[in-house]
Amino acid sequence: MLALIELSSPKGAPWEFLVVFAVLLLGPVLFRRAGIPGIIGLLVGGYAIGPHGLSLIGAGNSTLPDLGQLGLLYLMFVAGVELDLNLINKYRRSTISFGILTFAIPFVLGALVGFALGWETLAAILLGSLLASHTLITYPAVKEAGLASDPAVATAVGSTVLTDTLALIVLAGVAGSVAGGRSSVEVAAQVAVGLVVLIGYSLFVLPQLAGWAFRWLGTERAVRYVVAITAFLSAATVAELFGIEGIVGAFFAGLGMNRLVPNEGQLMDRIEFFGGAVFIPVFLVSVGFILNPSVMVKGETLGLAGLFIVACLGGKAIAAQISARLFGFSRSQAGLLFSLSAAQAAATLAATVIGFQLGLFSSAVVNAVLVLIFVSVLASTIVGTRASARASSPDGPRPLGTRIVVGLGEPELALGALTLARRIARADGGVVHPLLVVPEAAPFAPREALARLSEVVAAAGVDGQALTIVDRSVLHGALRVGRAQEATLVLVAEPVPDDDAQSTATPLAAGAPQRAWERSPAPPVAVVCGNADRLGVVRVRLDDDELESPSIAAEMARRVASGSAQRLDEDHAEWSELLAPGDVTFVSSELGDTLGKLPGVGDGLVVSTVAEWLIREESARDTPPEVPGDATLG
Amino acid sequence: MPASRSLRPLALAAIAGALTLGAVGCANAVKGASGSFRPRTPNTLTVATAQIPDPGFWAGTFAHPTGGFEYGLAKQLAARLHLARVKVVEVPFHELVRGHLGGADLALSDITITDERAQHLDFSTSYLRAPPSIVVRPGTEVADVNAARDLHWAVQHDTTLKVALERSIEPTTQTLVFEHQREVLVALEVGRANAVMLDLPVALAYAYQSPHKYAVAAQLQSEAQLGVALPQGSDNVEAVDSAIRALKAEGEIDRLGHRWLHANIEEGAAEDVPVLRAEE
Repeated sequence: MLALIELSSPKGAPWEFLVVFAVLLLGPVLFRRAGIPGIIGLLVGGYAIGPHGLSLIGAGNSTLPDLGQLGLLYLMFVAGVELDLNLINKYRRSTISFGILTFAIPFVLGALVGFALGWETLAAILLGSLLASHTLITYPAVKEAGLASDPAVATAVGSTVLTDTLALIVLAGVAGSVAGGRSSVEVAAQVAVGLVVLIGYSLFVLPQLAGWAFRWLGTERAVRYVVAITAFLSAATVAELFGIEGIVGAFFAGLGMNRLVPNEGQLMDRIEFFGGAVFIPVFLVSVGFILNPSVMVKGETLGLAGLFIVACLGGKAIAAQISARLFGFSRSQAGLLFSLSAAQAAATLAATVIGFQLGLFSSAVVNAVLVLIFVSVLASTIVGTRASARASSPDGPRPLGTRIVVGLGEPELALGALTLARRIARADGGVVHPLLVVPEAAPFAPREALARLSEVVAAAGVDGQALTIVDRSVLHGALRVGRAQEATLVLVAEPVPDDDAQSTATPLAAGAPQRAWERSPAPPVAVVCGNADRLGVVRVRLDDDELESPSIAAEMARRVASGSAQRLDEDHAEWSELLAPGDVTFVSSELGDTLGKLPGVGDGLVVSTVAEWLIREESARDTPPEVPGDATLG
Repeated sequence: MPASRSLRPLALAAIAGALTLGAVGCANAVKGASGSFRPRTPNTLTVATAQIPDPGFWAGTFAHPTGGFEYGLAKQLAARLHLARVKVVEVPFHELVRGHLGGADLALSDITITDERAQHLDFSTSYLRAPPSIVVRPGTEVADVNAARDLHWAVQHDTTLKVALERSIEPTTQTLVFEHQREVLVALEVGRANAVMLDLPVALAYAYQSPHKYAVAAQLQSEAQLGVALPQGSDNVEAVDSAIRALKAEGEIDRLGHRWLHANIEEGAAEDVPVLRAEE
């Protein structure tokens, strides 16, 4: 019987994928248990299955390198899309200064090493640029320590844009020179034109296209994800049309999509999930595929690695010290600067692999860079851990649009509120969680309600988790969930009131709280009255006190208008008559004005803040036995 | 501010600079970024190949090669490795694949990269896709594997093509096996065989050169690729490997393919040649 069974040796795509996924599964786990970063497990796993290891996948195989190429583009896209552009803007002076220093010093040292070794000019310049970039490997740990908004951390994170962009521009120039075989002037001109087109496409055209796609095609989460993938692949293609490496396009696509993909949103969750589970690890495995330990332990490789380590980590340390002195950072903050800027991975690997593909670097250089990556990850992790322990956690306010809960009773009537919330959140790179509040007395059908809600949410281009709660009122339910979710703003969508409930003008709250969202234990709350799928003119109607000090209404108006909103003064007593379809006016109001006395808004929107005392009063009613935050989330 | 604190960046800079320079000094034996090449004959790249002329790949004679894809590749390699001359030596194919290069620095002779050959040779990264293909006289049709099986076959000894023929086609008649490629093609011309197996780029070159004699009926599904063969343990592998990658990146390999093979083989674009799928 057994003689009839003929087994053949495993081969083909299923076998190759099995081998790769086995490495993805076991590599990081085994190495982490041994106290070694998981990234090293993937690299070693790639080597183990590759032609220099067990040869389970042969040298001529193109599946793994192709998947690795996709993973590399994905990695660069994630790097761009994850950056917190608000923090970068806030600390732009220190960001630019540190970015220039932490790029220039290792770049010069690296290039000097290349020239001293007698390398070709292009190879020496590429070496300098790959040592000058950095990857925020220690950022998750620093963020976990509550230091994300520390000025030094924000400075280091922001500098990533500068260093990686400069490094990728150098890479584009070098690659263009090699691949095109033309004069440096021609290459510079082509790269310059290409970058202008690429930046225009990635930062201006792509967000418009993606935003449109999210609103009109993005009724399913899978479609949104595919839109994101398509976006960075299109930018990579645009880059390659001009002879610029695709990773530059993917990185700029990430920057362009940054506001559309909030870090706490579901789309980012999916991007990080698939990236972290498959694409980025596959890239690292594909890098390990070309690892050759017999070359790695050679004196030549170790000598190169030593030089790279001194030039890179030395340069990064000098840049961190100088910047710390320039901006008055403490010793622990200098440590954070070094820790965040020293780790080499994504951009370094990308530039190295491309240098290898272009024939500028031998496998000895690639292996030396891998040694550098290993040492830099260890050094930055050790320094980062110590610096985080010494640094004090900054307790600053979170931006208003960081996390918005929009409470709504009728999904179809809340498109205007969701659109407003998206604008406010987008300005801060935040996320919007729509919340369907079902009255306690009403029959509750979660599936139908959520289905209706998801359609409206998709039409508004909102990406947060849709929630449901049964509560006595939309305001109360939204406030409870807002507190439970640590929201920075709660919007409550109200239908347009009946004519007999209108007032001709909204008396504004006297003595409105100054920067209430920064010190109130509960999030600030505003009621959105009316509905619209597109926003028109943005106005703000404040009393004299609020005109002289920041208020929530003014802050919201500024974000929605992407600048200063049109201000209405006392002369505009009949201001509600100005409202055209989609126009929105932000006002401050006390309870009586908010709930039931808003003017007729027609097709426009009126956003009315809720007084702090009312929020406190509503919150106080949540005392036991009714525990805040016990919402039944759908 | 204490002087020691203000001097710290300068001190760090000095230390880093000193370490860099010191390390550079210690590492003066380090090779160039893309590896270094030491030819057996000064300033000359000595290349072994099995057959000249070999349509599409080598033209002229061993003493005076005049063209062809692999000759062009040899000249490009020499230029990238800063060598002034290319010298060609003749070595039988079965000797080449056993690691005997006749004193040459490397071999360029339609050599498919295989694990078995890698036991005797070091290979560069591949420079050309080369799936096995079926060459027939014009007018002969090969509709499927069953039709191919009943043909009278000829193939070159000690090649991956012979293995592919035996595994994928499994001919029903005795296969004629020859030492040299030209003998295989003569067998086809005179009617001793009505189908032969050749690497696709080679087959396309023959069919382009002599369309009245040869036609490429089909290709087999394969990831077979041609590579530069070097003596096992050669210190020159890194440099040749880097040079091949650079030539690919510069588009030089594609240009050579278009000029001499009249096809974009690298991208697998011989799409007009049907793929014959072997039965599982």
